[in-house]
Amino acid sequence: MKSKLTFLLALAVAAAAPAKTVQLLNVSYDPTRELYVDYNAAFAKYWKQKTGDDVVVRQSHGGSGAQARSVIDGLSADVVTLALAADIDALHSIGHLLPANWQTRLPSGSTPYTSTIVLLVRKGNPKNINDWDDVVKPGISIVVPNPKTSGGARWAYLAAWGYAERKYGSKDKAKEFITALYRNVPVLDSGARGATTTFVQRGIGDVLLAWENEAYLALKEAGGDQLQVVVPSTSILAEPPVAVVDKVASRRGTTEVARAYLEYLYSDEGQDIAGRNFYRPRNERIAAKYAANFPKLDLFTINEVFGGWTKAQQIHFADGGIFDQIYQK
Amino acid sequence: MFVPLVALGLLQAAPSVARASDTDDIRQLRDQIQALEEKLKVIERKQEIRDEAAATTAKSTPKVTADEKGLNVSSADGSTTLHLGALVQFDSREFFGDGGGVLNNSFLLRRARLISDGTIGKYTSYLFVPEFGNGSGGTATTVAILDAAVTVAPTTAVQFKFGKFKSPLGLEELQGDPNTNFVERTFVSSLLPNRDVGAVVTGSLFGGALSYTAGLLNGIADSTTASGNSDFDNDRDVDARLWAQPFVADKDSPLWGIGFGVGGSAGREKGTSAVTAGYKTDGQQTFFKYGSSVYADGEVWRITPQASYYYGPLGALAEYVVSAVNVRPSAPTATTALPKTQLENKAWEITGSYVLTGEDASYSGVAPREPFNWANGTWGALQLVGRLEDVRIDPKAFPTFAAFATNANEARAWGAGFNWYLSRAVRLSQDFLQTRFSTNGRLPTTQILLHNETALITRVQLSF
Repeated sequence: MKSKLTFLLALAVAAAAPAKTVQLLNVSYDPTRELYVDYNAAFAKYWKQKTGDDVVVRQSHGGSGAQARSVIDGLSADVVTLALAADIDALHSIGHLLPANWQTRLPSGSTPYTSTIVLLVRKGNPKNINDWDDVVKPGISIVVPNPKTSGGARWAYLAAWGYAERKYGSKDKAKEFITALYRNVPVLDSGARGATTTFVQRGIGDVLLAWENEAYLALKEAGGDQLQVVVPSTSILAEPPVAVVDKVASRRGTTEVARAYLEYLYSDEGQDIAGRNFYRPRNERIAAKYAANFPKLDLFTINEVFGGWTKAQQIHFADGGIFDQIYQK
Repeated sequence: MFVPLVALGLLQAAPSVARASDTDDIRQLRDQIQALEEKLKVIERKQEIRDEAAATTAKSTPKVTADEKGLNVSSADGSTTLHLGALVQFDSREFFGDGGGVLNNSFLLRRARLISDGTIGKYTSYLFVPEFGNGSGGTATTVAILDAAVTVAPTTAVQFKFGKFKSPLGLEELQGDPNTNFVERTFVSSLLPNRDVGAVVTGSLFGGALSYTAGLLNGIADSTTASGNSDFDNDRDVDARLWAQPFVADKDSPLWGIGFGVGGSAGREKGTSAVTAGYKTDGQQTFFKYGSSVYADGEVWRITPQASYYYGPLGALAEYVVSAVNVRPSAPTATTALPKTQLENKAWEITGSYVLTGEDASYSGVAPREPFNWANGTWGALQLVGRLEDVRIDPKAFPTFAAFATNANEARAWGAGFNWYLSRAVRLSQDFLQTRFSTNGRLPTTQILLHNETALITRVQLSF
């Protein structure tokens, strides 16, 4: 009887406790703005129903590499939702902000959704761009962001390299192919959204090497009468990861909410929001619901062609790497 | 027959060929225009990207400025700042009617300081000032730490200050060294401590209408700056000051510039270091000093009511001080202690100023509207100043406690001068000052006291 009374009293106290407001900062890569507008609203509603507390999620967007650098330099991110694992690895190796095994803490290697790289061209495809080979032809102007700052740009670079290496059979041929590609690039934006602005609003270039979600979003917003998506024969499976920034969340007392925020991405609602925003959901049932939005194409992984992000980053994108060798400003 | 037919055919075909050639030219021109338009778009977009990158970098780039306020460095968000400045005062002292060279006419580096101050974060500020000049006439210069203080200010109403800083008592004493009306402070400041080591709480209330300071300091003698940055006895002084500016919120009122207050200190001191090293004239000549064996032993206290008024170019400042110390003729021994006497020395001063060029007079100096510029015909700001001051030594000090050679019991001085502000940073001053001594019928025992001190002091000051 006494224990029941104690329990009821505790419940009453908990129920009477005033609702608190928790603030989170989600540092994300460039093209996820619309995704997280929808997702944050859904999570706030879910968290309120579950705990009675309010959660306000602030967003920061930019090129994935630049965003990682900002967090390392002190930007107090409770969670990061970046374009590629190497950028979150840097939060561990340089910033000591989360453990080395961060990627094992959530399903699918902490990647709740996937994407790929496609080609966005002008309506009617006047330059007849149908695959990667057409992109590197002389006279074609390509818009793609800077791989030094943009995660999408690194995925695009690796997609083109992977295509060339598999088709032409050697790394040297792939390097020639990439060199020809970047010879056709007149301007490098710092992030994917900037590159979309360059191509769609400024009208520069014949083809944009874009995140799949970014391409379909541009099509939706600019109208199908101006642009069209060209699906290449093969591309890379892009797996943007997410992680709690342990050191920051612990200091700010937001660890529990931050974990729940990322876990909810794997829920049915989270996966549905991803699908609606042109990201490929991990959940097979929900992926099937949106299958018509996503063309079938041959996708290779970074492990298959490049041996993983650590190797790819070191060989291609580190200072003095292949990108530095082939691209002259 | 055939030739004319061919000629006719050629003549008919010629316009078509010309039209085809025109079409090709137009197509080429269109292609060129399109290519140029594309290049222009690329150039504009590159500039946009550069501007975005510059704007992003600016958010984290420290700002550096160098002007007549000094060198200022601040973090991008302004929360951390560093200011480097300096104060240099170069004096010329000329004495007249001193009985043939008793007082040395001289050039003097009166003050030479580097000033470092700034903020760290939202609540913390600091001040660090080493003094390299330290010239007060005839003494060797030594490098000293004049100010070294940290202030933590969670609000304007409550701030905590720790370290070495000006004792929070006198109005003229607290005025910044570059901003005093005359080149030397009055007797009132001589009867107050200069810089001491301790901790105070201070703040501004009611929108600046009331300021307060109260704290605990080591305690030092009149006219002294704490040396060695530590105490020489076991006791502390309590210092406190209240300052009111009741009309500070009403900028249009002629009473806006009224301020009045009172400062006071109380403590116990012990030792020969606790009595002043002497009171000096504007020419920095010592006219009164305690005997070398005089020993402070007991209560010391000071009280100083003060007031000021500023209205447009007119400024006025007045103070009165009583400084009391309990002394014995010599230090007590294990077996004997000569009786102690409380001596109360008193001083007053009144200073007036007027800025002829119309700028506002203020406690923190005069800011010329236009700096001196010969080519543009602008002259800076010119301020006239005048004052009266008096100090009286407690009659009980004579003859037991007064030093034999410097035994004036009263000094009264008047002065007139001008300050020419060539810019906010550069000031040229000249003061004519005369001090009369009274030895209360006793024969003056030093040549200095035989004549009035009549001095013309000229100063060139750089302050930023």
